[in-house]
Amino acid sequence: MKKSFVAVSIAATLAFVSLPTVADTLDDSATWQETLNQAKGQTVYFNAWGGADNINDYIQWAADRIKDDYNVTLRHVKLTDTADAVNRVLAEKAAGKNTNGSIDLIWINGENFRAMKDNNLLFGPFSQSLPNYMAYVDENARQSLTQDFGTPVDGMESPWGMAQVIFMHDTATLRNPPKSMTELLTYANTNPGRITYPEPPQFLGSTFLKQALYELTPHRKALSQPVDTVDFEKITAPLWAYLDQLHPVAWRRGQTFPSSSEEMMRLLDDREIDVALSFDISAASVQIDKGNLPDTVRSYVFQGGTIGNTHFLAIPYNTGVSAGAQVVANFMLSPEAQIKKQTPTVWGDLSVLSYAKLSNADQAKFDALPRGIATLSIEELGKTLPEPHSSWMGALEKAWRARYAQ
Amino acid sequence: MPLKHTTLITWLMALLLILPIAVGLIGTLLPAFQYFPPLGEHRMAFTPWQNLFAQGEFYASLKLTLITGIVAPVIALWLALSLLAWGYERAFFKKFEALLSPLLAIPHAAIAIGLLFLLSPSGWLVRLFSPWLTGFDRPPNWISVQDPYGLSLIFALVIKEMPYLLFVMLATMKSIQARESLQVCQSLGYSRYTAWRKVLIPQLYPLIRLPIFIVITFSLTVVDLALVIGPNTPSTLAVTLFRWFNDPDLSMRFMASAGAVFLMLSIALVLGGWEMAHYLLSKITRTERSNGKRHGLTDAVLAVGRILGLVTLLSGFVALLLLPVWSLAKRWRFPDALPSQWTFDNLERAAPLLITLTSNTLIIALSATLIACLVSLLMLETKRLIAKGTNQRNNTRAQHHAFDWLIYVPILLPQIGFLFGLHVLLIYLDLNGALSAIIALHLMYVLPYVYLTLKGPYLAYEEEYLRQANRLNHKPWRNYVLIKLAMLKPAIFTAFAIGFSVSIAQYLPTLIAGEGRYSTLTTEAVTQAASGDRKQVGSMALLQAAFPILVFWLALTLPPRWTKWRLAMKMTLKRKTKCSA
Repeated sequence: MKKSFVAVSIAATLAFVSLPTVADTLDDSATWQETLNQAKGQTVYFNAWGGADNINDYIQWAADRIKDDYNVTLRHVKLTDTADAVNRVLAEKAAGKNTNGSIDLIWINGENFRAMKDNNLLFGPFSQSLPNYMAYVDENARQSLTQDFGTPVDGMESPWGMAQVIFMHDTATLRNPPKSMTELLTYANTNPGRITYPEPPQFLGSTFLKQALYELTPHRKALSQPVDTVDFEKITAPLWAYLDQLHPVAWRRGQTFPSSSEEMMRLLDDREIDVALSFDISAASVQIDKGNLPDTVRSYVFQGGTIGNTHFLAIPYNTGVSAGAQVVANFMLSPEAQIKKQTPTVWGDLSVLSYAKLSNADQAKFDALPRGIATLSIEELGKTLPEPHSSWMGALEKAWRARYAQ
Repeated sequence: MPLKHTTLITWLMALLLILPIAVGLIGTLLPAFQYFPPLGEHRMAFTPWQNLFAQGEFYASLKLTLITGIVAPVIALWLALSLLAWGYERAFFKKFEALLSPLLAIPHAAIAIGLLFLLSPSGWLVRLFSPWLTGFDRPPNWISVQDPYGLSLIFALVIKEMPYLLFVMLATMKSIQARESLQVCQSLGYSRYTAWRKVLIPQLYPLIRLPIFIVITFSLTVVDLALVIGPNTPSTLAVTLFRWFNDPDLSMRFMASAGAVFLMLSIALVLGGWEMAHYLLSKITRTERSNGKRHGLTDAVLAVGRILGLVTLLSGFVALLLLPVWSLAKRWRFPDALPSQWTFDNLERAAPLLITLTSNTLIIALSATLIACLVSLLMLETKRLIAKGTNQRNNTRAQHHAFDWLIYVPILLPQIGFLFGLHVLLIYLDLNGALSAIIALHLMYVLPYVYLTLKGPYLAYEEEYLRQANRLNHKPWRNYVLIKLAMLKPAIFTAFAIGFSVSIAQYLPTLIAGEGRYSTLTTEAVTQAASGDRKQVGSMALLQAAFPILVFWLALTLPPRWTKWRLAMKMTLKRKTKCSA
């Protein structure tokens, strides 16, 4: 009843736009009904990073809702590293297991997506024909919805959430935090041992390198090109010069680095360091709530903006339950799921839906979302810097390790 | 065991041992030479090796691996021998032995995290003395953990390995008649340490050579421990390979495979070098050992080792005690020595998971260990019978039985390279993600430990008891179980406890065979460890430790009381039947 209502309302909305689309959409909704029918009773193994309790709880909430509404069982397989899942699909291809693979849905973006797409390990295209995608996603709203770290998405993955780099400081220790890479170095020089960043190739560490590169290099435009088409040495020279200065005055003299954002927050809590960073805009509020950070901690962003990206859900080519996986991906795009996800006490992950496309009721719900004491509003988050082309990540990590890890 | 067809059994068992190993090896070797059809590579080439040798990180990692992987076992062996020489057969040492099991049983990732919290600049040691003594309001900028020289990694390895060696040594003490030798030596006026060094240690070493080799291989290839407490710029070779294997750039896999092959070769070289060193050392000290002096300067080495050994054990325990404290902490900030706010929330949050995790963990560990014990007994009996049969004709075949070197292979191969190749086999068999596959993979790692722990005592068993029993009452199976196995109870229980804790600690095999569908306490704890939340890790480690500790405690408690309790129960039952009759 509810489902057909959605289908009719989509069709009705689009009827104003053009007639051929109506025919297409009706056709689409018929196929979607088939997908829903096929999905009934299927079990979807969702491989997603499992290192954060609040995210795990959110996935469990979604699993319960999906079971109630669509009779699809969602099982969360907790990963420590998404690359494990990529490797598993590869191993299955190696063994000729081209049907009924062990993974039905992956939480993915960037390098992992490129690796799977380039090696034909993905099912699709599917995302652009999901009803909620057609109804609520505005592809022009952000470049990262169609360009995942510079790799064209082409409907092979469905957007799930958006992230942006934020910094955290304890106002009891540090009143005016450094708001650019240059200020960060100045601060480290006057306060040795209190600044650090996660170790590349941990993705937040690599993101720190990209952030620094954006601010320091005079050749910003080259960053959107594949790395082998530009002069890597020349473009990155200011970055290495900067790090060479930073490391001697960094935490543990730049000889070790924290392994993750979570470890940085622990170090911030212990006051071993003064500035932590995260890709999760509500991280500070969530950790204060859990007693892992003092309530004097606040988030902030750099003056020139910080790097942001979109994360997605993709379906491996050898899944046996592509219908069930699509039903899950579609549910994750529903206003209900996205509102819940953006609730700071739940997860605080930014919605991928276009505010303008939402119904008034849903808009009101988004407006009413409470923010934790240390979470920035969308306006305060300011400008988002796009991710460089995905080939930069590997090149920067390699160069960093060659310089600082041997 | 009244076995027939020993040759057939040997061949079958050998095949079962070889097959997964061979497949895993091929799955590592071929990519090392650029052959990997799923990535479209159908031609052999040396490019992975060229790439490997061109990596600066490879050499730095290798150097670090060799340092930590050799120094840690040397120290662990030294400290274990010192403690044994100091305390063996003394009253207080019995209690001490019981304390070893927690350290043995706790999965190493949890110990590493406990140590991190003890030793890091914001750790408990510094907190204890701050700010009243040190003047630190904030943690100092020291590098006391994850240091570039790998000292903290070596320390963690020693904490993990020394109790294992001590445990194995204690289990083999009976077979070298240590008490008698010690009494003779002391009545001849030898000091305690000298008697150990000159008489007992040379006898003990051949019996514990195998466990020592396991410890060396573990030190050279461990991933999770090195991830947590080892340096990461660069990291040890195993961790570097682990990272390469998991790199989203799939072509890194070729170089990683080549590195895995290289790591296997290094293990062989290190073990060879170790034996050579032992041979030379015993040659050089031979005259000194028989010079008749009752004391020696080297006594001091054992005396110092004893003190260091105690310090090591103590830090291990403090690290372990900190984990449950963390699981109950709400706010615990530097420089507070104890949490300022306490809570049960952390445990409560973990509670719903526990039932699933615990049952998965126990099903896997108990089945794998039980199968491993049965298979080990079968293998050892086969080996014994063949040895007996060939004794008259030639000795070489008996001494170099196929099992003795086959059993090493799973633990000598680095898990990271080997398991990926094996995963492909599981998929072919359509066993990927199945519980039976996890148990089988665990069995592969549990079996060697059980077999090797059991081998010495089993083969040293005085067969005459059994023969006598069979002459009196010819029931070979019944006598085998009721006489021989019953007499070997301490060794079997020890082997079971070690096998059980090995199974509990497995991370990569569980993940690769189970494809994440079966979470155990360990996979969950390591996932949580990555998030750096000490409260969660504390809660997990608490549970993870409970079961192995229980099993170890039983292994120490049951054998000496078994007969007493069995007879007591028999008496009660008899009395009851009498009453009811």
